[in-house]
Amino acid sequence: MSGSREVAVVGGGLTKFGVRGVTWAELAQEAGEVLFRSVPNLRAADVDSLFVGAAEPERFAFQSHVAPLVAEQMGLAPHRIVQRNELACASGQSAIRSAYAAIRAGLSDVAVAVGVEKMNLPDMAEANSAMACVLDRPWDAAHGLTAPPFFAMVAQRHMLEHGTTEEQLAAVSEKNHRFANANPVAQFYEKRFDREKLLRLPMVAPPLRLGDCSSMTDGAGAVVLAAEERVREFTDVPAWIRGSGQYADFHNLANMASLTDWTGLTRASREAFRSAGIGPGDVDLAELHDCFSISEVIEYEAIGFCGPGEGGQFAADGRSGLGGDVVVNPRGGLLGCGHPLGATGIAQAVEVSDQFAHRVDPARQVPDPEWAMVHNLSGSANVHSLMVYERGG
Amino acid sequence: MSGAVVEVVPRKRPRSRKAKPSTAEPAQAPAASGDRPARLPYLLDLYPAESPAQTRLAPFFDGLREGRFLTTRCRKDGRVLWPPRIVCPTCHTSDLEWVDLPQTGRIYAFSAILAGAPSGLEGELPRVVGLVELDGSPLRIFGRIQGVEWAACRIGMRVRIEPFELPDGRAYYAFRVVS
Repeated sequence: MSGSREVAVVGGGLTKFGVRGVTWAELAQEAGEVLFRSVPNLRAADVDSLFVGAAEPERFAFQSHVAPLVAEQMGLAPHRIVQRNELACASGQSAIRSAYAAIRAGLSDVAVAVGVEKMNLPDMAEANSAMACVLDRPWDAAHGLTAPPFFAMVAQRHMLEHGTTEEQLAAVSEKNHRFANANPVAQFYEKRFDREKLLRLPMVAPPLRLGDCSSMTDGAGAVVLAAEERVREFTDVPAWIRGSGQYADFHNLANMASLTDWTGLTRASREAFRSAGIGPGDVDLAELHDCFSISEVIEYEAIGFCGPGEGGQFAADGRSGLGGDVVVNPRGGLLGCGHPLGATGIAQAVEVSDQFAHRVDPARQVPDPEWAMVHNLSGSANVHSLMVYERGG
Repeated sequence: MSGAVVEVVPRKRPRSRKAKPSTAEPAQAPAASGDRPARLPYLLDLYPAESPAQTRLAPFFDGLREGRFLTTRCRKDGRVLWPPRIVCPTCHTSDLEWVDLPQTGRIYAFSAILAGAPSGLEGELPRVVGLVELDGSPLRIFGRIQGVEWAACRIGMRVRIEPFELPDGRAYYAFRVVS
């Protein structure tokens, strides 16, 4: 990727995340309301392309062909590119990546990336089935595998191999819930969880307790991406996309080389750093995919914020909190905000944009961040997607 | 496409397909309130399709009925593949053969599903699940683990493959702890 024009996220907004009494389509309408409120200079006619991140509307809302549905709900009439992006838990970032690529290639000038997910159903067993079929359905999920038992095995091996403790996992969850208490759209904005309380919550999949697991969440959000010659129409503080990396290897668990050494993430983050021309020590804030507390621990290690096996202690020592080496998940993460699959990647990009512009609650504002990294894993950590942003202005 | 790309090793002839009504007949309605249906709606059914009308991997399921645990091996590079496949992902050839996998192994990692069960599993919690290292094989295969409470389960416990029959007659497999 060289010789093309630069692209920035110029703003965006989010609906309230949580167990919501709204339909899938109504969430898309709310995303439109918050988008045009958050980016006041944006007119519908500016938007030439639309990318919709939605993991499983067929299963969660019995609705396919959601890109034109979202266009209608948001009052958009994209005339260059319109598509849906599905990459399970990374669907939102996938939409952003496609918008980025389209603008960079000159096929779009102003694009909207939207994420919508409605995961709370009348029968939650059906929602759990939807989560199961993200995995290798006939061979792994047919045994009952969903995300919690998978990440529980990851945690068990990390504890065995590196001495990671339940208390260290609770330190991750406590940090992210504390940040979520300063983020009004977070699912757990009003719920307090300290380490002692987290360690008393019931087991979901041992050794993971309820507080180690992100939630089934309804939510939506949208961001605007613009080509460099259009950026100033919308913001004084663009979040320039300077690098990206992605890696996919296995699908069935038998083909995962290691439960605890996420080499795919190491490869993808190296590519992200290389393309941005920075290293782990340059990152001021990182939105990492903490679908489970153990995920964030391993992500510190695989990206290079700390050494192999040191992730639990890194969290317990406060090195991923405000004032630490790198502030991880100041938004509240998936643990504190909930995880509406398609909307999560959008919410991370909104956080980067808002952090760069100093628009967030001071309790979670990173001091003058210049570089941000965003990461999503999807499925059984078999795909890793990363983007690197630089503050403009 | 050729239908003969995968040579079936089992010496016994597979049972007549007609002996498996579930593969030919539509899902049955629950007999009465509280009874579980023999089969969930197709798009909520996590178990694999096994009839030869639906899959070229039917010999795997026939093997289970004969007490065998089969997978495919590439004849070109000799790699044993899991799950069974019809084209080698390395050589991109359909020249594969069925081979027996070891039926014993030990638990490499495990957890238990205590909440959040998919449709059809709600009544079967807690369920112990884990990754099993098969004896003499580089493969670690995921599956449910029977014969042990989750609090008593340990890494390194020995298990063996145990085929079982689903209520609608299809074949599947579990691991069972052996002393």
